[in-house]
Amino acid sequence: MIRNKHVLCAFRLIIGGLFIYAGVIKIADPLGFARDIQNYRILPPAACLFIALALPWFEALSGVFLIVGIFKRTNAWLLSFLLAGFIVLVIITMARGLDVDCGCFGSLSRKADGRLILEDALMLYMSLQIAGQRRPLQ
Amino acid sequence: MILTKRFFAEAGLIAGLSVVLGLFSHVPLIRQFLRGGLSPGLISTETGPGIILITLAEAEDLFAGGQGVFIDARSRKDFSTGHIPAAKNVPFEEAKGKAIREVAAGIPRGKAVVIYCSGKECPTGLALAVLLRDQGLDEVRVFMGGWDEWIAAGLPAERGNDQE
Repeated sequence: MIRNKHVLCAFRLIIGGLFIYAGVIKIADPLGFARDIQNYRILPPAACLFIALALPWFEALSGVFLIVGIFKRTNAWLLSFLLAGFIVLVIITMARGLDVDCGCFGSLSRKADGRLILEDALMLYMSLQIAGQRRPLQ
Repeated sequence: MILTKRFFAEAGLIAGLSVVLGLFSHVPLIRQFLRGGLSPGLISTETGPGIILITLAEAEDLFAGGQGVFIDARSRKDFSTGHIPAAKNVPFEEAKGKAIREVAAGIPRGKAVVIYCSGKECPTGLALAVLLRDQGLDEVRVFMGGWDEWIAAGLPAERGNDQE
C-alpha cells in the first residue's frame, strides 16, 4: 500500500480529473451516452436513459469531491466499485463478441477492448490506494 | 472496514444528488422519452427528418434496380466475413470528423443511400444515418433488418474487403 502523501495526492488529481472530464462530456450529450449504454444490449431503453442522466453527474461529483477532499475515501471506494464494474462489463462484452464503443468519454470514446481493461485496472489500482489510506473512515 | 454507516450515508448523498441533478438538468428530454418520442434506438425525433426506415423488400428493390448505394456500418472484420454486394464499409466507430465528410462527399448524388448494420438491435446504422444526413445528404435510408435479415432471406452476398 502506498503511503507517500504526494503520490496519493497525484492519484487523487488524476482519478478525480479523469472522472470530472468523463462526467462533464457526457452531461453535455445524454442521448449519445444513452445510445452507448444501449449498444451493450443489457438494459432496456428506460434504464439506459436513467443511467445516462445520473451516472455522468455521479462521476463528475465524485471526481470533484475526491480532488477537493470531501468524503475522500468514500468517493475513492465508490469510484473503485464503478471501475471494477466497468472492467466486468467490458469482459462480458468481449466474451459476447460485441463490437461497441465503450462510451467512457462521450464522442471521444473508443472500442471496449483489452486495452480498455488495462487502463481501467490501472485507474482501479490508483483509486484503491486512495481508498485504503490508513486513517479509518469512522 | 468500508461498509460503515458513514460510508452508506455519504455514498447515498452523492448518489441521490447525482440522480436529482441528472433528472432536473434534462427535464425536456425525460418528457420527450415519456411521450414515446425517443425511438427507435433512442434516436430523438428531432434527428428523424430526412431519415427513412426501410424494410427488406424495399432494400431488395433498390439493390436489384441498382438505384442504391449500400453502406455497411459494421466493423471491418464483420464486413470482410460477408456483406451486401458492392456495399461500402463505413465502420461507425471510424465515422467521425473528416472521415464522415469524406464518406458523404464520395456518395454519388441522385442515388438512394441505404445504411445497414448487423440487425434489428444494432443502433449504429441509424446513428450513421444521422451523421450522413447532417453532412447534407437527404433521404438517407436505414435498412432496419440489417445483415441478419438480408442473409436469412438468401439474398446475394459477397466476402472480403474489396469495395467498388
